[in-house]
Amino acid sequence: MSDPIVVFDSITKSYDGINTVLHGLDLTIERGEFVTLLGPSGSGKTTTLMILAGFEDPSGGTISLDGRLLNHVPAHQRGIGVVFQNYALFPHMSVAGNLSFPLEMQGIGRAERDQRIKAALDMVKLGPLGERRPSELSGGQQQRVALARALVFQPKLVLMDEPLGALDKQLREHMQIEIKHIHEQLGVTLVYVTHDQSEALTMSDRVAVFNHGRIQQLASPATIYEEPANAFVASFIGENNRLVGTIATRDATYCRMALEDGTQIEARLTGDLAIGSKAVLSLRPERVMVGDSGPNANTFNARIEELIYFGDHTKLRLSLGGSSGFMARTSFKDGLRDLQRGASIPVSWSRDCGRVLPFMEQE
Amino acid sequence: MMTRRNLLAAALIAPLLLLVFVSFIVPLGATLYRAVEDAEISTILPKTTALLEQWNGEGVPSEQTYLSLMNELREAQEQQKAGPVLNRLNFEETGLRSMLLQGLRASGQFSGSYKQNLIALNPRWGDPHFWGLVKRSTGPWTPLYFLRSVDLKLGPNGAVVPTADEEAVFIKLFIRTFEISLVVTLICAVLAYPMAYTLSILPQAWTNIGIMLVLIPFWTSILVRTTAWFIILQREGPINALLLSLHLVEQPVTMIFTRFAVYLAMVHVLLPFAILPLYSVMKGIKPDYMRAAASLGAPGWRRFLRIYLPLSMPGVASGALMVFMLSVGFYITPALVGGSGDQMISYFIAFFTNTSVNWGIAAALAALLMGMTGILVAIAWLLVPGFRSGGVRV
Amino acid sequence: MGTASIPLSRQRPSTGRLLLYAVTGVLLVFLVAPIAVVFPLSLSAGELLVLPTPGYSWRWYADFFNSQRWLLATYNSFVVGILTTLIATTLGTLAAIGLYLGRFRGKALILALLSLPMVTPVIVTAIALYFSLSAVGLGSTLTGLVLAHTVLSVPYVLLTVLASLQAFDPNLLRAAASLGANPVQSFYRVVLPLITPAVATGALFAFATSFDELIVALFIASPDQFTLPRQMYAGIREFLSPTIAAAAVLIILLSVFLLMINEAIRKHAIRHILPPTDRMP
Ligand SMILES: Nc1ncnc2c1ncn2[C@@H]1O[C@H](COP(=O)(O)OP(=O)(O)OP(=O)(O)O)[C@@H](O)[C@H]1O
Ligand SMILES: [Mg+2]
Repeated sequence: MSDPIVVFDSITKSYDGINTVLHGLDLTIERGEFVTLLGPSGSGKTTTLMILAGFEDPSGGTISLDGRLLNHVPAHQRGIGVVFQNYALFPHMSVAGNLSFPLEMQGIGRAERDQRIKAALDMVKLGPLGERRPSELSGGQQQRVALARALVFQPKLVLMDEPLGALDKQLREHMQIEIKHIHEQLGVTLVYVTHDQSEALTMSDRVAVFNHGRIQQLASPATIYEEPANAFVASFIGENNRLVGTIATRDATYCRMALEDGTQIEARLTGDLAIGSKAVLSLRPERVMVGDSGPNANTFNARIEELIYFGDHTKLRLSLGGSSGFMARTSFKDGLRDLQRGASIPVSWSRDCGRVLPFMEQE
Repeated sequence: MMTRRNLLAAALIAPLLLLVFVSFIVPLGATLYRAVEDAEISTILPKTTALLEQWNGEGVPSEQTYLSLMNELREAQEQQKAGPVLNRLNFEETGLRSMLLQGLRASGQFSGSYKQNLIALNPRWGDPHFWGLVKRSTGPWTPLYFLRSVDLKLGPNGAVVPTADEEAVFIKLFIRTFEISLVVTLICAVLAYPMAYTLSILPQAWTNIGIMLVLIPFWTSILVRTTAWFIILQREGPINALLLSLHLVEQPVTMIFTRFAVYLAMVHVLLPFAILPLYSVMKGIKPDYMRAAASLGAPGWRRFLRIYLPLSMPGVASGALMVFMLSVGFYITPALVGGSGDQMISYFIAFFTNTSVNWGIAAALAALLMGMTGILVAIAWLLVPGFRSGGVRV
Repeated sequence: MGTASIPLSRQRPSTGRLLLYAVTGVLLVFLVAPIAVVFPLSLSAGELLVLPTPGYSWRWYADFFNSQRWLLATYNSFVVGILTTLIATTLGTLAAIGLYLGRFRGKALILALLSLPMVTPVIVTAIALYFSLSAVGLGSTLTGLVLAHTVLSVPYVLLTVLASLQAFDPNLLRAAASLGANPVQSFYRVVLPLITPAVATGALFAFATSFDELIVALFIASPDQFTLPRQMYAGIREFLSPTIAAAAVLIILLSVFLLMINEAIRKHAIRHILPPTDRMP
């Protein structure tokens, strides 16, 4: 797969000439791909999208779409569909009027317009609502109209900026699946912005994790989750235990990290860390087993500080390795229902589950 | 790109800017300039002006100056242009008009020196002080109108002194204008507050009716409303008829042409301007704040004082400023229903423009009125959120 | 008052609240009664403006419509009002769009200059225009009156339209561009329809301002240019006949008509264009 549709080449952006919002962004998006830009608030996701859509000019660098340099192409000639967070439906036009707008701009005749509007409305399951005004629709329906409008003129590329942000949880999950299906059906390239990590992980082919105007990691959801490239990605995605220590011994793949109280933990090594350098162990709570889990595992005795009940699972806050905030997650498949606060229990995890990353002064 | 956008913007703004400039800014500037301009004497009596230029202020000027003054004045009178000169000098000191006219009438029979003849006619012609006044009036600028509009004038030696008591009317006028505006503003604020509050808590259907009843007078012309009061408050008007028929009074009560009538009509005209901004502010105060205060143990009146009043203050401020600003410039209403002691600055600006023609004073009063309004607008601009975006009519 | 604002439960209104209702009711009557009183007076069969009227008749309306002076004043008012509305609405809307588009220093100053006539006391404007219009030979002409009224009413159009432009979601323009509309198409298809209610409201304000304006007319209109307010003022000063009440009623009806149109525009805008936000009544 190498058929790039969008190429960002060292894009920088500053709104005021003083603060840099994007620092030399490189990003290649493949045709037909579903790429999500994920990152904390203010990290530059919207700015990236606005530059791609042509609503903002980059301060430096180039973007191309299908091999064509975009820098000086005005937004209305780029042929990129956009779904806005607040939908930006034209309030004075009916739903059908909104959908008809881009087709009229392309000079498409009445008959074909009507047919395409109908198809688009059917696709988002709004068939009978064409004559309504946007103000007469629910939030979810407006969202569908915005989606249909961005797709009806068959753009090669569709951008969505937190399109589901205003919907309630249930509707959001429903729409995630629908958008995913529409993407698969139409084969359109989609760039999607969100700060909801589960949304990013479930929907995308690839995720670009943003922080402070830089892409921290660009990879498939599984890679992002299982093999975070650095401590920021590790802590931003999913729940995460962080233990700080120094590298005691290492080989090509694994290392032993010594915590402050002397405890040593064996884990997978990410990045080139010399012996004696400061490092962070990142470990997902759901990888921690209660009990012993055999060879190649780290096994410790931990004290239960707190039990937090979640219905389908329970979280344990443990004292381990000098920290009292070590989290483990158990679903009681192992039958250990009678855990008590204050009890001491064995916990363990495979050395492949823990990742040792370079220590970063941040957050 | 940027410049093309600005060019377009400039092209769109230009026609209106030009119109407002030509038919408002320039006339306004020219009018306000009249407050300091002093051109009557120097344009109508140019030769005399030039001669006085040479006079050093010691003793009396030359015979030639006397002659030129009389000749130019006579010429002006024949062309009906003497009025401004006489007014201007009389404004400098009351009585100069008749002295000049007397001299002019007598000058037909003069033989020999004008100077001696005139001094014989009226010894003031030989007073260096008189000539000092004439010289002072040759311009090009004078502080006199501004001084006079705050009851001051220039004394003989050029010092600023208070005007004589019978001429000192302007400070009183400003105080009166201020007083009337303040009273009207206070009444409006006090009445508008409970009204706006009620309207903001009534069920929507009732609120709509109430707001309609506020908007109808708001859209009805001020003159029509003042006329209504003018009719109602007549001696034979409906109110007196009612009072008499109920035997509450024996004689018709005099209401028209009183301060009471001015207050009544002005409050009626301006009340909607106070209600509407207050209503919109109060409509925006969520009941949750008051509920929260109640849950925190504040009794009713403290909730009101500590929570509701401060939150509604912006509405009071913008309404009151608006009412005060409009009151200060009121003209028609006091002119129609007020007595002679109830007229405000605007009335005197009109009076000095039309009736007793003294455009300098009219301009000085106008400038001071604008200054007062300007200060109010500045306060509103700085203090009242939303003032910048809001118009007078809503 | 404080207690009253917490409708925790639907109880019988407290004494305080009843008092509040009563005060409000009385004040509302105070606001409308003087306007209402003019109606029966204008229908009086007698010569005097007294209540109760000695009987009812249309004679004063007949008098109005048979009087050369009142008819001329009506005609003048409409001519001046309509011309003022056309000029003020056109120029005001264009300038508002210009101020919205422009990205240059001094915008605030220009806006302040253009709104100056709104905060200047009318008497000051009136004498300024009196002096300058007579100086250029436009005193005692309808042209002069139209110019003056345009200057007085244009700030309302400007500010109303500008406010609606500023309330405008800039994402709508981005959306239009992303859907392929060039700037001109965006303007005609998106901006213009959305500011139309504001333009219409501005036009109504402009007309009402001109139609009600008296002070400038006092200075620059001679009898041939008398407008309705000017003629009414002259009438009050000369002889208070019920014809004036009839004229007042006609003016009131027109004002209420304008108000109703404005309300209809507002309702339409709220329903079809604006999200239900905090627009004032
Ligand atoms: N129009 C603007 N003018 C000036 N600064 C801006 C502008 N838009 C965004 N910024 C700044 O640029 C930075 C990146 O903003 P951006 O909107 O791209 O963030 P984001 O990742 O989309 O955040 P969020 O998740 O909150 O939407 C922020 O620091 C923001 O303050
Ligand atoms: Mg964003």
